[in-house]
Amino acid sequence: MKISLLAACALAVPATIVAQQATPSRAMTARPAAAPTLIKNATVLTVTKGRFENTDILIQNGKIAQIGKNLTAPAGAQVIDATGKYVMPGIIDPHSHSMSDAVNEGSLSVTSMVRIADVLNPTAINIYRELAGGVTTINVLHGSANTIGGQNATVKLKYGRPVQEMLFAGAPPGIKFALGENVTQKNRSNVVIPGQPSPPRRYPTSRMGQEEVLRDAFTRARDYRTGWEEYRAKVAKGEKALVAPRRDLELEPLVEVMEGKRLVHAHSYRSDEMLMLLNLAKEFGFKVATLQHGLDGYKIASEIAQAGTGLSSFADDWSYKIEAYDAIPYNVAILLRHGVVATINSDSDERARRLNIDAAKLVRYGGLTDDEALKTITYNGALQLGVADKVGSLEVGKDADLAIWSGDPLSVYSSAETTFIEGEIYFDKKRDLDMREKMAKERAALEQAERGPRPTRATQIPNEDDK
Amino acid sequence: MALLTRRFTMATTAALAVSAALPSRAPAQIGVQCERNAPEVYAITNARIVPVSGAVIERGTIVIRNGVITAVGASAAVPADARSIDGAGLTVYPGFIDAYGSLGIPSAAAPAAGGGRGAGAPTTAPAGPQLSTAPNSLHPAGQQPEILAVDLLKADAEAMAGPESAGLTAALTAPSSGIFMGRSAVINLAGATTQEMLIKSPVAMHIGFSAARGGGYPNSLMGVFAALRQMLLDAQHYGELDAAYAKNPRGMRRPENDPSLAALQPVLARQMPVIMLASTQREIERALDLAKEFNIRPIIAGGGEAYLVADRLKAEGVPVLLSVNFPKRPTNAAPDADPEPLRVLRERAEAPKNPAKLAQAGVKFAFESGGISNWADFNTNIASAVTSGLTADQALRALTITPAELFGVSDRLGTIEVGKIANLTISRGDVFAGGRVTKLFIDGKPVEARAPVTANAPSMAAGTWTLTVTLDIGEKPITVALIEEGDRIRGTLQGALGSAQISDGSVSAAGELRFTVSITLPSATEEATFAGQINGNAVRGTVQIVGHPPGSFVGTRPAAEGAQGQQGGRRRPPQR
Repeated sequence: MKISLLAACALAVPATIVAQQATPSRAMTARPAAAPTLIKNATVLTVTKGRFENTDILIQNGKIAQIGKNLTAPAGAQVIDATGKYVMPGIIDPHSHSMSDAVNEGSLSVTSMVRIADVLNPTAINIYRELAGGVTTINVLHGSANTIGGQNATVKLKYGRPVQEMLFAGAPPGIKFALGENVTQKNRSNVVIPGQPSPPRRYPTSRMGQEEVLRDAFTRARDYRTGWEEYRAKVAKGEKALVAPRRDLELEPLVEVMEGKRLVHAHSYRSDEMLMLLNLAKEFGFKVATLQHGLDGYKIASEIAQAGTGLSSFADDWSYKIEAYDAIPYNVAILLRHGVVATINSDSDERARRLNIDAAKLVRYGGLTDDEALKTITYNGALQLGVADKVGSLEVGKDADLAIWSGDPLSVYSSAETTFIEGEIYFDKKRDLDMREKMAKERAALEQAERGPRPTRATQIPNEDDK
Repeated sequence: MALLTRRFTMATTAALAVSAALPSRAPAQIGVQCERNAPEVYAITNARIVPVSGAVIERGTIVIRNGVITAVGASAAVPADARSIDGAGLTVYPGFIDAYGSLGIPSAAAPAAGGGRGAGAPTTAPAGPQLSTAPNSLHPAGQQPEILAVDLLKADAEAMAGPESAGLTAALTAPSSGIFMGRSAVINLAGATTQEMLIKSPVAMHIGFSAARGGGYPNSLMGVFAALRQMLLDAQHYGELDAAYAKNPRGMRRPENDPSLAALQPVLARQMPVIMLASTQREIERALDLAKEFNIRPIIAGGGEAYLVADRLKAEGVPVLLSVNFPKRPTNAAPDADPEPLRVLRERAEAPKNPAKLAQAGVKFAFESGGISNWADFNTNIASAVTSGLTADQALRALTITPAELFGVSDRLGTIEVGKIANLTISRGDVFAGGRVTKLFIDGKPVEARAPVTANAPSMAAGTWTLTVTLDIGEKPITVALIEEGDRIRGTLQGALGSAQISDGSVSAAGELRFTVSITLPSATEEATFAGQINGNAVRGTVQIVGHPPGSFVGTRPAAEGAQGQQGGRRRPPQR
């Protein structure tokens, strides 16, 4: 344990250090667009338009301006020689809890009023680590404690910039739903610990109850919408002295769901609960944007495809609870073959840094082509989050969110070397190494100012309690 | 104003009460009979006077009559009936004001019987610090803006000895927990009754962003924001309904009387400022965003990283009540403890520079005690801010006229001027350069400043805890560094479960500890809620993680960091 702890620290420390570098420089002022950048002579993986050898990419005003051979650098451009290297779109993680100061509002089973955007931490170290894994966009979701969870935030990992700049401009809003064992709290034991009162069981404790909670919530939302429609009709008729109905932050987002303005990302495992939700959505006239995890998705691939619903899963993570026992490594491949927009997600700060390897597993097990596999961590995620017009592939006019890799990103031997968001570098391996040195010096100076490393217990006068 | 007049008529009778109730604090060596009839007239002569409102008087006289300053100047005459105090070698400042705290409010202010509609809700919750509740409120404890600090006040001279040793004569005092914590009051730190202490109430609305304990809604930071937003929207709606009903009640259903929403009306009308507890950069930014969303008048309290947001604070005209409870270097790390993160080192190095940076940026700020446990640190820390670039004048203003202006009492407090309440802080030597506060006048009565508490008051939870967490994935060693601010806990978790900042932390007077933190498990990043009981330097409790069976934790901290040999983890009264 000691050894692995030390190893973990060794990995963690440099990134922690870098995390603090950005903090003092965070300012509210808008910054001028980054200087143009020309990436020369790379293997360009566009993901949607094929693969191009010895090709240049010109970035201007934060966008991909040109992709082609022998492009000329405009005045003032930084030129990066990427000979032997690969460029791919920034990875999109459709299921993350990174940079969030809270994950669950676990008190109620319907918490549509809470917003992840309220609690984002723009200097969370995991952002930086994910950038180092070539990730540029994440979908920060509420946890899975509630049937209807909170509102998610689609975020570009502009590490250290103000939260308002990081929120993906133009991304449709969304909301987390959850079905199955996490909501019923089946895995929460009822053992009474002396001195600690055990929490009461919370409704619903069954999948039946979850369906009822959903139907009840949407029925209330429908009534709420009717109330507002009646009010607006009266206003339109010119009635005076009206007081508008009370705004209800719990029901407003559900009205938006029914109006197709808010995406539903539903944590679910079993095929029966997924079908239940798809049917219920039909009943209330909305579409489920994505099923999250959906390890049983392959059993109902045609039904999911027919509903126009996406699915975001793990490459090979399973059997960690009863509802995760039927998982197979071919899930995503089967879904793709049935026409479902399917993706791989991390659901983990740690795995988020190696989504490229998870994509490679789909080539190995699912028999996907390289492009199909890469799409599960890029373009398909952009489709699921409603931002495919801006990110997810290397195409002229799209945001310059991309990473230069040391080799083929589907190889375990490759790593991201430089990560751009809107043409600006947010991670660079060489810069990182320079920064480590600078921070070591700063640490030494600060410790010196406090007169050496902090005193330890051994140097203290023994206390009575130490005996 | 009515208050003020009444207080004058009460002054002489109150003097008797003071001497009876607080024999150690009444003017010394004067019998009760004399006290009753003695005119309350004092003259401080030959003193260096720093009036703040004007130039320093190197050698002058201040005359106090019946609680009010009646003369100030180099040649002010000493009235025949005045008790004269030789001020040679002393410096007289306007009485210092603690710009935020809960002084005068007992830490476990008992909830009123039959609280609000939601007050009784989660019965199985581990009891956290007691939330104050308002009678017949329609909203749960912690979300009752109608609570008034003045209703919770207790006149307790002993509790004021610490702040008085730091030169404090008056304070803004507010309930210490909740989301909508209630409304504050400006009080004098001496007085036989709470009414005698009171200067102004209500002063400001207070928002604390701390989630409900024990599982009721909201139990997360995002739930707190949702609850705040809904309540402010409801208050807007309430105002509209009320206005419509007032205009023409006929044919309209009578709106429900809701004291909580009624208390928010002056906030929405921008008549009452909202003091928001926010220390880190992102906490401050979130508070400012919320204030902007509802067009309310924010004042930031805490402000540890305010210098990082100085430009925005200046641009939006938001003042800061700056905590002088600067982070301290832990003295007792375990020999094999991880090095402190650079962020923590920087936090300590930056804290004394923060006030000067705010001053330079043109941000208005006042000093507040920030739950400081060792009152000797109060002026020492301000002195360190002065050596880090703040001028002594700026420091003094932040203790006197600025808080008086922010709280709308600058006509009564904040300077040494004729007509103002006779609150004075008297020191031997420059108080920002190692001088010691020796005497105070509060409401025109002399108070001896006792030697400041030098020993660290024991803290319940603060320190570096070494914990072993037992989860379904096995035993995990972690280190949790906790900082205690009143009943709130901040800090970090490091070790085998990743590294993260703690949120929604609290500790009760009985040692019940609770906090939420994101932990890194092999399968996912999850939110864990730690709830335990501190007993001396040991702690044990449970860990709840969504989707996992409950775990447990045990741990210890080095003895010298916390409760020294205390039994049962009870908080000792401050030593002096």
